Amino acid sequence: MNILNLIAMRVLSAAALALGCGAVWAQAVQSVTLPLETARLKPSKLAGYQLALQKCGICHSADYISQQPPAMTAAQWTAEVRKMEHAYAAPLSDGDVTQIGEYLAVTYGGAKPTLGPVAAAPVPAAAPGVPAAAVDVQAVLKANACLGCHAVAQKIVGPAYHDVATRYKSDPQAQAKLEVSIRAGGSGKWGPVVMPPFANLSPQELKALAAFVLKQ
Amino acid sequence: MNHRDEHDARRRVFLQRAGLGAAAIGTLPLQAFAAGHETLPFGNGERELVTYPGKRPLLRVTTRPPHLETPFSAFGEGVITPNNAFFVRYHLANIPKRIDAAAYRLRVGGHVKQSLSLSLAELKALAAPVEVVAVNQCSGNSRGFFEPRVFGAQLGNGSMGNARWAGVPLRAVLEKAGVLPGARQVAFNGLDTPVLPKTPDFIKALNIDLALSAEPIVAWSMNGADIPFLNGYPIKLIVPGYFGTYWVKHLSEIVVMDHGFDGFFMSTAYRVPDNACQCVPAGTAPTATRPITTLPVRSFITSVAGGARVPAGKPLQFKGIAFDGGSGIRKVEVSEDGQQWREAALGKDLGRFSFREWSFGMAAPRKGEFKLMVRATNMQGDIQPATASWNPGGYARNVVETTRLLAV
Repeated sequence: MNILNLIAMRVLSAAALALGCGAVWAQAVQSVTLPLETARLKPSKLAGYQLALQKCGICHSADYISQQPPAMTAAQWTAEVRKMEHAYAAPLSDGDVTQIGEYLAVTYGGAKPTLGPVAAAPVPAAAPGVPAAAVDVQAVLKANACLGCHAVAQKIVGPAYHDVATRYKSDPQAQAKLEVSIRAGGSGKWGPVVMPPFANLSPQELKALAAFVLKQ
Repeated sequence: MNHRDEHDARRRVFLQRAGLGAAAIGTLPLQAFAAGHETLPFGNGERELVTYPGKRPLLRVTTRPPHLETPFSAFGEGVITPNNAFFVRYHLANIPKRIDAAAYRLRVGGHVKQSLSLSLAELKALAAPVEVVAVNQCSGNSRGFFEPRVFGAQLGNGSMGNARWAGVPLRAVLEKAGVLPGARQVAFNGLDTPVLPKTPDFIKALNIDLALSAEPIVAWSMNGADIPFLNGYPIKLIVPGYFGTYWVKHLSEIVVMDHGFDGFFMSTAYRVPDNACQCVPAGTAPTATRPITTLPVRSFITSVAGGARVPAGKPLQFKGIAFDGGSGIRKVEVSEDGQQWREAALGKDLGRFSFREWSFGMAAPRKGEFKLMVRATNMQGDIQPATASWNPGGYARNVVETTRLLAV
């Protein structure tokens, strides 16, 4: 049995049948449903790992990286990431390029780390006890490149926030479910593309982000 | 020949148990069930065999954008590559997922007398349909074999295929719009778009002379059927003799220009060193480049894979394919040592842009390892080089291939 082949279906429009048109081809609707992504970036304590999760996945799956030749140097990997910034307009700062290049070269190329395993802290985590309302949601969205994949009103790579809010409108557990989804990432709920985990967010930030999404 | 051994060696497939009962499959979200895997003979060459819509299990290069390579054993099945075995390559992740052929339009504009917006029926009515059997080969086919290695899709030898394409000549479309004097290039866009608005769209351009020649066609049929969705349904630009980068899928827009098109995928990507070998010393950067164009002459053994065991003491028959950018294949030769070459018999001629089948009878080998090298010469006298040339993009590889076999 093959589920995927069944999905590549052709639907003849009623109009074509009514007209008795011989050119079946010209009235065909075809669609494809793509499989879930399974490739994942190799975890690392290097700061570039979180950046790579958040930014590389906007445009391509992780298997682009794992299949590259095994012995590329830090200079080569960094140049490749710089190409993503300059040629393909990936939303990367020069600092991001250096950190992602280091992560890739160490994790996939066997290079020695030079920047050290300092986790990026784009937004200082809110102190315990600070209410979620005090979190600057826009700053968190920006610092974590959320808006590279999501917009309020339309689907980009991931679903529109408005669509998420609509789906969970009458779900009493919506807030908790969304907090889990943001923290752990995942795929399959909205399509095959993987959302990376955002485990670096504080509970207050998760709470504020989930509440923000559900209001859209 | 030990059939079992041959099969194993040819496919280098290690079937995995899916571990899921039918009941479980029905309740899970869609998965690309791995039908097994193959290992391409270079570092990080492990590839899953995955089944996509309209396709048999193919080697997964990348999931998003979809990029799938044909297992090389498929070329041993015949000189025409079946639609469900044909490789898939997208550059940008926003690919069309649903296409209504009844609403489909091909827009033609730019430096023309009148812009057009053609339905598929109108396109088909423009001219008598034409057919061509032609090889579509990725510019980066075999990139994984480059030494030193280069970044990019790490392809084995299966990013190519040979099909019978049917459609209308591109020039019939251009003549309908009326190309104005001074036209220099024609740009082609398809329905796939970038994820980010600032990422360059995948647009390719041909010089006006080529665009108005008899060869390029706007095709709607592949091997007598609709073009598979992932290969560009419902229409695809076919540029016989040219690398696959120009064969724009889901063709939606044609723009005639009175200047050269300078988009990223022409001016920066898909360029080769501007010299006869399209090569530079390994590891160096070229001083001048030009857009990649036609397929250099190439040949493969397809009836047996490297590492296969064959019976010693019996004459052997081998088959394979040869192709080039459209002059046609003059001869194919086989050698065991790279010194003495013996001519193979050429098979049926399906046209100068097609794979040309060849066959070769070999005297009984003694027990032990031996190698078979194959080289083709085209009608222009171009011959495959004995040593691989190098360029930083990993493009246009056409070195003489060597297959190592074990006679037992």
